[in-house]
Amino acid sequence: MSVRVLIVDDSGFFRRRLSAIISSDPELSVVGTANNGQEALEQVKLLKPDVITMDIEMPLMDGITATRKIMAQNPTPILMLSTWTTEGAKSTLDALDAGAVDYMPKRFEDISNDKTIAQQQLCQRLRNLAKKTTTPTFKNKIIIEPTIQIPSKKTSSHLLSQDLRIVVIGTSTGGPVALQKILTQLPANFPYPILLVQHMPSTFTPSFAERLNTLCSIQIKHAADGDQLNPGTAYLAPGGMQMLLKGSASMPFIEIQASQSTQTYKPSVDITFDSVAKIYPKQTLAIILTGMGSDGKNGCQTLHDLGSSIWAQDEKSSTIYGMPMAIAKAGLADGVFDLNRIGIHLAELT
Amino acid sequence: MAALDSDDEILQDFLVEAEEILEGLNEQLVELETKPEDSDLLNSIFRGFHTIKGGAGFLSLDAMVGLCHKCEDLFNLLRQGDKEVDAEMMDTFLKVLDILNSMFDETKSGEFPTPADPTVLNQLSAYLTGDATVTEEPVPEVEAEPEPVAVTTATDSDDITDDEFEALLDQLHGDSAPGIESSKSEEKPVPTATAPEKSDSDDITEEEFEALLDELQGKSPAAKPETVAEPTAKPEPTPAAKPKAKVDATPAVKKSDPAAKPAATAKPAETTVRVDTSRLDDIMNMVGELVLVRNRISTLETALEDEEMAKAVSNLAVVTGDLQTAVMKTRMQPIKKVFGRFPRVVRDLARSLKKDINLELRGEETDLDKNLVEALADPLVHLVRNAVDHGVEMPDIREAAGKPRQGQVILGAAQEGDHILLTISDDGAGMDADILRGKAVEKGMMDEEAASRLTDSESYALIFAPGFSMKAEISDISGRGVGMDVVKTSISKLNGVIDIKSEVGVGTTLSIKVPLTLAIMPTLMVMLGDQIFAFPLVSVNEIFHLDLEKTNIVDGQQTIMVRSKTLPLFYLRKWLASTFNDTDEPRIEHVVIVNVGTQRVGFVVDQLIGQEEVVIKPLGALLQGTKGLAGATITGDGRIALILDFPELMASYAHRGY
Repeated sequence: MSVRVLIVDDSGFFRRRLSAIISSDPELSVVGTANNGQEALEQVKLLKPDVITMDIEMPLMDGITATRKIMAQNPTPILMLSTWTTEGAKSTLDALDAGAVDYMPKRFEDISNDKTIAQQQLCQRLRNLAKKTTTPTFKNKIIIEPTIQIPSKKTSSHLLSQDLRIVVIGTSTGGPVALQKILTQLPANFPYPILLVQHMPSTFTPSFAERLNTLCSIQIKHAADGDQLNPGTAYLAPGGMQMLLKGSASMPFIEIQASQSTQTYKPSVDITFDSVAKIYPKQTLAIILTGMGSDGKNGCQTLHDLGSSIWAQDEKSSTIYGMPMAIAKAGLADGVFDLNRIGIHLAELT
Repeated sequence: MAALDSDDEILQDFLVEAEEILEGLNEQLVELETKPEDSDLLNSIFRGFHTIKGGAGFLSLDAMVGLCHKCEDLFNLLRQGDKEVDAEMMDTFLKVLDILNSMFDETKSGEFPTPADPTVLNQLSAYLTGDATVTEEPVPEVEAEPEPVAVTTATDSDDITDDEFEALLDQLHGDSAPGIESSKSEEKPVPTATAPEKSDSDDITEEEFEALLDELQGKSPAAKPETVAEPTAKPEPTPAAKPKAKVDATPAVKKSDPAAKPAATAKPAETTVRVDTSRLDDIMNMVGELVLVRNRISTLETALEDEEMAKAVSNLAVVTGDLQTAVMKTRMQPIKKVFGRFPRVVRDLARSLKKDINLELRGEETDLDKNLVEALADPLVHLVRNAVDHGVEMPDIREAAGKPRQGQVILGAAQEGDHILLTISDDGAGMDADILRGKAVEKGMMDEEAASRLTDSESYALIFAPGFSMKAEISDISGRGVGMDVVKTSISKLNGVIDIKSEVGVGTTLSIKVPLTLAIMPTLMVMLGDQIFAFPLVSVNEIFHLDLEKTNIVDGQQTIMVRSKTLPLFYLRKWLASTFNDTDEPRIEHVVIVNVGTQRVGFVVDQLIGQEEVVIKPLGALLQGTKGLAGATITGDGRIALILDFPELMASYAHRGY
């Protein structure tokens, strides 16, 4: 049975384009379209689609409000189609906040110069998102019992080397929501610096860092070249660049490098983790959260081999169980936790 | 640059939507001037630019994307109340709209739009950065360099990184790009924007630098896709999922056609179908033929006196009538399509004339035939410009005359039976009939005596005479004396009539009456000798019997008195019938009073047949271009009737004096 998609966009032109692209995928079928958020609500009720593509700017009811209402009434995975600008970043993050699972640029050139590839990616994302029947949101207050694959008596500290110096987190699809969930649980006196690598376009990361900073007790900073590491501060890798840890264990600092065209991910979890492994080979806690693909696997392998600890998010709480799965399958994970549990365990490190 | 495939369905789809939005923006932007803080309006303008940008982005029309992007950003600030619209900004927006329209036309004709004038883009950027005083030229000093960068980054938000900027600088020196990249990755990126050019500034000439600045500023739309795409390219191609994504994406494989979905999924917007107007014309033509057949059958039926037949025929008549209406409706478009451009026309004109004018549109929703909408556009523009230019006075003069400084121009449309009434009225100075009469004498159009006999409304009609201009000096807007007669001719061609009412000091109202459709015309059938002629019913004023002894000769022209008005009388049979015999003139004749322009004229005809709806058929090659004939049609009894074109008829025959 094919995945049933609802398209929400106020531009007829775009609705028809999206319909054509989505219908060209044999596994997807467009069951309906809506001109605005209001119509989207009705359509969702009527058609019960498996996944929704949502525009942000629409008359009568915008995509963010519609997302919030849909998630309250008929929770459905929603893919935001937004513009990748600074303004777009703000509204896209708002939409994620409202419960949207993922986002794609409206301008396909933003993903790939080859339109066909971009269109295939859109279809692939929709298929992946549809597989998740429920999606964790910020509003989701229910704490799902953790799937702990380790003896439950062990506290998190047992999983770690005694001399922990840094926490590094890598994530992709679903990451903004997951990171917010984890980081908001940490107290201001969290004793370690944190490096965050979230796959995100360059226009999004500054807004994202700012948003996290206002929500969290710990400091969140959009990492800049030359930043010194402070405890209780998380450094978000800038989009489109690579974040490396340089210096020595006693005087580490952040280096921001331009990314090479050969690099698939900008920022890349692997690159950051590898650089961290050189400074803190044994004293690192690396966490891989939800995301498509397997970025972070090589970096975790390096860290794991050197003696650092690796945690991975579990399948149930992951928006996309790709990156954490790569870690779990490679046997690198010292712990596989539910998203809520990761935050709790981290907070226990204080 | 490679041409666009203008037949491409996607492109056409975009153009249809963009055209609607552009028309909307045109109105909304003018409206914005009066309601600069209307948040609904700001939102909808924002969305307009946003949607065009989205579509243009899809088609890689980068010039359009760049321009819309800046406008979108600016309107985002406006709608958030971070900025306020001022008159200068309005001018820029309207300039932008003009550019967008020309880009649209370029796209329509299959070319990639040319990038917008950098000065406009710079101006927009300046509004965005809050620096309204930015000059049109980039400042040549090297120290000024951070500013243009800031301009670019503010809109494209960090798209141009220091490194990229550096690369640009390097490119100016002819360095090969790969070389830079490798060296760059090793050295630490320079944290400030000024640093890269400090090291390079020695070997860069001022011209080169200016060129670079121009490139950065002017070509930012072109640079955008590249810079945005690079940092974000190819996120997460899961190796496992990849084979799936490679599934052949041709329509042949698609299992599910959106059109084949259950009715519940159909949305209003998707139920429309684009139909070529020529196809509609064909259908209209065939319906026309059907109307003729119906007329023929109903004529035959009257001879049969069969009740069943009569029923069937009357049924046929009803169905044909409905079909005719339905087909006509498919060709209907709201007059809004034409009216929509007027707020802008009036605004621009009023601004350039330094007048204060408020345009009111009434009955924008009135539907009329698509061909008519198009045909009316130019005459209406001309008349509205005239109202603004000649009609409404300067604010000071208005004030002195005890009127509000702001002049009113009202453009109205309404359906009245089977025709459309369009009115253009202003509350300006009005027309002075005596001045017009004087002008006519001065121009040698008639002698003083003839001029003094003109009624007021006949004097007003003088403005439609070729070469007649009311304006003392010629402006570039109107007053060249060409145009009004062209307006007149175009309206006549549509079987329309123009009427002028004016009062000195109070204002002028021009009324245009045009039939709802051009294809089917109600006519009055008359006989001249043994030949049938059709008078367009819209011009027919009244019919009566006339005792020919009651006519007078004035200036060698036979005239009749109708309700104490003297009208010229013409014997149509003398003009048109071949079997005319001068000797046996009956004493009592049928006279049809016809409106020709603003004049009324009496025509003597032999017999009156009655009203009939006819389908206008063009004349055959032999008769093509015959003066005074609008076309031909087939009557209910299967004969051919010629349809008269009165203005032309008068022009070619009236000087004969009989």
